[in-house]
Amino acid sequence: MSRRRGIFRATHARRVVQIAFLLLFFGLIVLAGPGVKAESGPLLGAFFLADPLILAATWLAAHAVVSAMLWALVLVAITVLLGRVFCGWACPLGTIHDIAGRFFDGWQRHPKRRDQWSPWQRGKYYLLAGLLVMAAVGCHWVTIMDPLVLLYRTTTTVLSPSAQWAVEEGATAVFEADPGVGAWRLKQVTEPVYEFLGRHVFVVPGQAFLHTGLIVAVFVAIVLLNGYRRRFWCRYLCPLGALLGLLSWRPLLRRAVGQEECNECGLCGMACHGAAAAKPGHEWKSAECFGCLNCTDSCGRDALAFRLVWPWRRKRAGEGIDLSKRATMGAAVGGLVTLAMMRANPLARGLDTETRYNPALLRPPGARPEREFLQRCTACGMCMKVCRTGGLQPALTEAGLEGLWTPRLVPRIGYCDYDCNLCGQICPTEAIQPLAIEEKQQAKIGLASLDVSRCIPYAYGRECMVCEEHCPVPDKAIYFLEVEIRDRNGQAVLLKQPHVDPDLCIGCGVCEHVCVYQDQPAIRVFSTNETRHPRHESVAPADPWDSVY
Amino acid sequence: MSNPSRRDFLARSAAIAGTSAFGMESLLTAQAADDVKPADMTIARWEKPEALTAEQIRSAAVKLTEAAIEGLGGLKRFVSKGDVVWVKANIGWDRSPEQAANTNPDVVATIVRLCFDAGAKTVKVGDNPCDLARNTYQNSGIAAAVAPLGAEVVFLDSRRFRDTDIKGERVKSIPIYPAIIDCDLVINVPIVKHHGLATLTMCMKNYMGVIDNRKSFHQAIPTCLADLTRYMKPRLCVLDAVRTLAAHGPKGGNLADVQVKGTVAAGTDIVALDAWGAELMGKKPAEIGSVAKGHEVGLGTIDYRSLNLKELTVS
Repeated sequence: MSRRRGIFRATHARRVVQIAFLLLFFGLIVLAGPGVKAESGPLLGAFFLADPLILAATWLAAHAVVSAMLWALVLVAITVLLGRVFCGWACPLGTIHDIAGRFFDGWQRHPKRRDQWSPWQRGKYYLLAGLLVMAAVGCHWVTIMDPLVLLYRTTTTVLSPSAQWAVEEGATAVFEADPGVGAWRLKQVTEPVYEFLGRHVFVVPGQAFLHTGLIVAVFVAIVLLNGYRRRFWCRYLCPLGALLGLLSWRPLLRRAVGQEECNECGLCGMACHGAAAAKPGHEWKSAECFGCLNCTDSCGRDALAFRLVWPWRRKRAGEGIDLSKRATMGAAVGGLVTLAMMRANPLARGLDTETRYNPALLRPPGARPEREFLQRCTACGMCMKVCRTGGLQPALTEAGLEGLWTPRLVPRIGYCDYDCNLCGQICPTEAIQPLAIEEKQQAKIGLASLDVSRCIPYAYGRECMVCEEHCPVPDKAIYFLEVEIRDRNGQAVLLKQPHVDPDLCIGCGVCEHVCVYQDQPAIRVFSTNETRHPRHESVAPADPWDSVY
Repeated sequence: MSNPSRRDFLARSAAIAGTSAFGMESLLTAQAADDVKPADMTIARWEKPEALTAEQIRSAAVKLTEAAIEGLGGLKRFVSKGDVVWVKANIGWDRSPEQAANTNPDVVATIVRLCFDAGAKTVKVGDNPCDLARNTYQNSGIAAAVAPLGAEVVFLDSRRFRDTDIKGERVKSIPIYPAIIDCDLVINVPIVKHHGLATLTMCMKNYMGVIDNRKSFHQAIPTCLADLTRYMKPRLCVLDAVRTLAAHGPKGGNLADVQVKGTVAAGTDIVALDAWGAELMGKKPAEIGSVAKGHEVGLGTIDYRSLNLKELTVS
């Protein structure tokens, strides 16, 4: 029976599986909200824990991995046996490319050429080689291009906040304009939906992220590139695809062509998403094949099938990836040169000697020392997603190029909640270490400093003290002294002026967040005295001996 | 009350049984006098608050609240059948009941129950907290205490505040939560605790939880609170001093700063209640700016003893 004419088509099953994985991926993002329980961290990060690229890069960079990351070996085994089926059946970004590819089909001027294998598809292996060399020298940069990380980050920082904006502003506009017919009001429908979404999906009101322009640009570009070549990203760039391709060099599941049935019509080649040279007569490239089964389904003569081929019966027919030694070496050297150029930067050099820190870089509590942090952080955005206040934001330049899109706390947007330790609980690679709540409440991420030229009681002689009110440290890291000042008429006025106790301040930033100013706050937190860098303790503890005198 | 309902009958029997069981003769006699002239303010004190264990504090809070409300003549005096009531507790901080940074959940729950007993159709509990509402509602114990009684736990939405003309001396317009103003009755149920700037936060300060955009209030807190209080037209306040926070307020967190006072006061004069709270915490009422200001502009009297005051001892 021909698969083409039958009711059941393998590609239909594949699409169902793809959509299921895509929904699971988005579902796990929605679930990773601030209401989440710490124990569910491994479940919510399941995609990352199953990702061999993150495993490889973290192991190369940090020489240590979280044991849960070894789940990625399951995907390694699947790929060795079956090939890149992850790309064809499970990868959520791949599914988005498939959807986009269908959408762009009509644009193609040379539909025959687009699905032919191109030697440029080797580019992703060279890219991977260069990036893995960088990882081996301690730069985890490869993971910011991991497809799962890329989609998680894009969804968390761009897609979800945009949808949230539409929901919040839309419902509010309906609420205020209050349209309706007779006694029936539209808001009777919109308000419950808005309330439900606010409680379960868009949990942090008004959530939005800084510096997302580049994140959007990358995502839009790789989606649009489907118009040039289907699954452009997967064929030419994806470092995870490249890694899985290397693993599926000689899978057990191979495509076989029935020489008698095949009339070399070429339909299979046109249907192939991976440009794996599916057309008979060419050498089928196992490393480029997503196992999507488009070729077998497209064949009107039932000439194609995937069959298990036992290792001892392998054919040797030129199915290797065929990388050039020179280009591979070039990629490796390129990786080293790139890293050297990234590190030849005053802040990076300052990190080497522990003498310079970017004042705008507040890392979440539990973050490892900066170098170690960068050896593990994938910039996936899970911590930003769970942050209760929405204060964790993607860095642009604050952590150097190596720290692109890694989390930093921006107190003006959201502070570090005193009773929350979710970012560390959920971080899949433990770049942010899981701290018990008591430990977290002791972990300093910075130190607040007052700008007395703006602080209202100092600068303008009026009461304020909102910062002191909100300081969550039980014995108050912000305290006040009552002083007598003179107003412009020379009259004595009693006033409370705030001060920061550097021994107690943990740098949570709530003071900066609540400071009465709407533009530049009069109290700001800098990374001074952060626990993770002992040599960054510029303000030393008080010496009790002094107080005797 | 010629034809008492079943609920009334039960409530009355319970009150009588309660008073006789706990030896509140003063309450009984006072109640008899109430029929003539209801009290303006009651103060219910636990006999030996220092001896209370954590578990006993819970039942004491219930009894103290019941006694304080009953002393005013019961909630029927304020709640009509079918009313929608907002119980404005202080749920400002992500702290536990033991840390005394929020109103005692048993006090709040008792008021909710008494509201329903008095015939309220809907009782809503909500605050515009300083910490994240999701956490303050939970960790204060208030959401869990009032939800089973049928109260609506309302999360205030920052997009649903409405700029309201309150015509104050200083505050002309402020975003207020409409659902609170639209209620038939707002019962103001704060805790007595320390506050860095305001020295103490009590009833008047608790109204800051019905507004938004309030940061600049601190620059003139007595006048701002007086303006807000005037707009809110308080009818009934219940001041929780079961536990009080004596230092490092309003968020607190250090159990050493918590004092068990075992007291609940209720009244119709908001300034008088705050004046009493100040004395309870060892301050002169006039030292508290909002109390002095409230008295001055006629929101109530600083001399709470001049009122028809009822003091009860509960055990």
